[in-house]
Amino acid sequence: MSPRLQFQGISKLFPAVRALDGVSFSVGAGEIHGLLGENGAGKSTLLRILSGVYRPTAGSVLIDGKPVTLANPVAARAAGVAMIHQELQQVPRLSVAQNMFLGHPLTRGGIFVARREQERRAAEALAAIDPSIDPAAPLGTLKVAQRQIVEIARALLDRARIVAMDEPTSSLTPSEFERLAQVITGLARDGVAVVYVSHKLDEVFGICRRATIMRDGVVVDSVDLNDLSEKAVVAMMVGRELAQEHHNSHATNKVTLSARGLSSATKVRNVSFDLHRGEVLGIAGLVGSGRTELLRLLAGADRATAGTIAIDGKAARFSSPRDAIAAGIGLVPEERKREGIVPLRSISSNMALASMGVFAPRGVIDHARLKRVAVDKMGRVNLRPFLLDRPIRLFSGGNQQKAIIGRWLAAGTRILLFDEPTRGIDVGAKAEIYHLIEELAAEGHAVIVVSSELPEVIRLADRVLVMRDGSIAAELHRDDISEQAIAAHAIPQTQTPAAQSARQ
Amino acid sequence: MSDTTLVRPRAEFLRGISMRDAGTLIGLVVILAVFGAMVPGFFAERNLINILQQSSINACLALGMTLVIISGGIDLSVGPTAALSAVISASMMVAGVPFPLAIAAGFAIGLACGLVNGVLVAYVGLQPFIVTLGTLSTYRALALIYTGGNPVLGLPPGFRAIFNGSLFGLPLAVVIVAGVAVVAWVVLKKTPFGEYLLAVGGNEEAAYIAGVPIARTKIAAYMISGLLAALAAQILIGRLGAAEPILGNLWELDAIAAAAIGGASLMGGKGSVVGTILGAVILGAMRNGLTLMNVQSFYQLLATGLIILAAMLIDRVTRGRG
Repeated sequence: MSPRLQFQGISKLFPAVRALDGVSFSVGAGEIHGLLGENGAGKSTLLRILSGVYRPTAGSVLIDGKPVTLANPVAARAAGVAMIHQELQQVPRLSVAQNMFLGHPLTRGGIFVARREQERRAAEALAAIDPSIDPAAPLGTLKVAQRQIVEIARALLDRARIVAMDEPTSSLTPSEFERLAQVITGLARDGVAVVYVSHKLDEVFGICRRATIMRDGVVVDSVDLNDLSEKAVVAMMVGRELAQEHHNSHATNKVTLSARGLSSATKVRNVSFDLHRGEVLGIAGLVGSGRTELLRLLAGADRATAGTIAIDGKAARFSSPRDAIAAGIGLVPEERKREGIVPLRSISSNMALASMGVFAPRGVIDHARLKRVAVDKMGRVNLRPFLLDRPIRLFSGGNQQKAIIGRWLAAGTRILLFDEPTRGIDVGAKAEIYHLIEELAAEGHAVIVVSSELPEVIRLADRVLVMRDGSIAAELHRDDISEQAIAAHAIPQTQTPAAQSARQ
Repeated sequence: MSDTTLVRPRAEFLRGISMRDAGTLIGLVVILAVFGAMVPGFFAERNLINILQQSSINACLALGMTLVIISGGIDLSVGPTAALSAVISASMMVAGVPFPLAIAAGFAIGLACGLVNGVLVAYVGLQPFIVTLGTLSTYRALALIYTGGNPVLGLPPGFRAIFNGSLFGLPLAVVIVAGVAVVAWVVLKKTPFGEYLLAVGGNEEAAYIAGVPIARTKIAAYMISGLLAALAAQILIGRLGAAEPILGNLWELDAIAAAAIGGASLMGGKGSVVGTILGAVILGAMRNGLTLMNVQSFYQLLATGLIILAAMLIDRVTRGRG
């Protein structure tokens, strides 16, 4: 029997770039197939070819042994391909059912939209996977995890034979992932071929049996994951062994920042802690536990409703990020595209944005000096290629992150707040960012790292605060830090995973 | 390293003019060539000076508009701002107030109009399009109410002489606007305020986290736009010798057109002073040429529309290069 989906010698040329070069592999019916690789390896390009956004320069796609022409997204959908995007392509104000029928609504007489019928059919599709979702509810009222489920239900509705998922879990909590994994396994059991792209190797190892590993536009190998370790897979992805990194502590006992009884209007409740010079303080907790909100209070982006912050023992009040920056605090935000970079501006301009006053002491920017500092700081954070006048949007996520770190170094920041420092960053660049954070601490910066990836917290943190429902549930010192300890404190006592599954 | 040092002077020179500005310049050259071939006397020094003079008011407004557009906003109220500024300074002059004082009052009106726009946008958080649509009517109404709908006539000859004079063989209005353009270029390219404008329009959230003073930056952009509208008004009433409360009707559209032809993006974060000036001259040259050819004004309108659409299409096709 021919495989459900087969790529045969797919190549894709862009002006000056060969994005894919002779990619061949196949996915059987009922198989969940992992697609792994660093950013720029060609995974997204391949998925775009599969979903009809791009046409391959050479090669063909076969479905059930027959070559198909995926000329555009509509044709791909008609051929049975459903694509579930990393950034969900939905309309928040429309209802769940309207979103599921977006682009091809059910009509009465070809004129009026048959809303009731749409909602009935949507409910049918949802019943199989998550009956708690109301098809008439506006999509925007659903949580991200539920919105993923809606996308999958839409694929069911289209009777998709192939479902491609691009980083479906990048914003899900562990328990939400468990739920999604059940749904995906269910899809496979019904004979759907699933192509699963994720940066999170533990997830891929959890739900995929086979995986194809890509690097620089070519297939490195299609492998059976039962035979390999995560480390071996990473080595194949980056083309070299990543040295196992050990934690080094540079913490002193000199308090740089102390927070007492901090609360915000949104989530943070009565948070107190001290941050020391040279220390890397990890903040762990579930998504929604108030970690990002706490960082925003410290960075002056939101205002505290109660509590005090002191820097080097002096009380500080922040009414905007400007005040916090003046006090030596800089935030490296989680959503780089939305809160970090000014996409059209150069690396140098993005770097200098927080310290313009320094570069323009008499009102006019000293571009020679700005350039010197940019060369120095970008060299310091090891940004390559070294094209400082190029718009930042043309750089990889890892390089953009380095530029934002360089921004704070240029501003003379002493307290660096990282929110998910390696989200959307390659495995290789991740190790570099870790190194950089450690070096910054060694130089005497005080660092806070908020992360959902427990290995990251364990790798970096001298001390971990675990947040739950906006408060600090536990403080773990270096010797007590473990995934189990963090998870035990992060999950609300009344809602352990066992209790959750019992309810369902 | 020595290789890059050798290449640098040329690269520095080329960086002064972007690909997009070069495109606008080519557009201008093509339009000049076409009219030069079709209209006898188009290239006469007198006519070229005429074109600059006719473009100067729109260029003045368009420079302010460019800064506002870069900040992610728009200023639809420039025409009525100019009218309000014009009738107030004109009536002060007619009443015998020394004209430096009357001109200063006109500028103050322009700044105040911009301040209101800026505060409503930056602090109250209303949408720029709606705010300035509202003030477009409001400022126009104030100008009409203040004058009872009548023009203010009989401006003193001394005042008129200022704006009708010439310097280096160019009308003073042209020299003033050229000076404003140089200042605007320096502001956008060489000052923190310029960087802040590009950052606020390019990604407001990121600019906020990086400590950019968002509200101050936006308000300053609207105030500059108001000030330049007031300057345009002084130039116009100096030339006409009278201030009508309905002056400046539809000025905002020409100013937006010049900025857009010059490469400003209405999404914010992108725009060029050089481009805007070239855009204003393109519009001016085209109107001048068509008038000399005795083409009906309907067709001038058509040509303006087509030029804007053509510029946007070229933008679209060449997007992402340079």
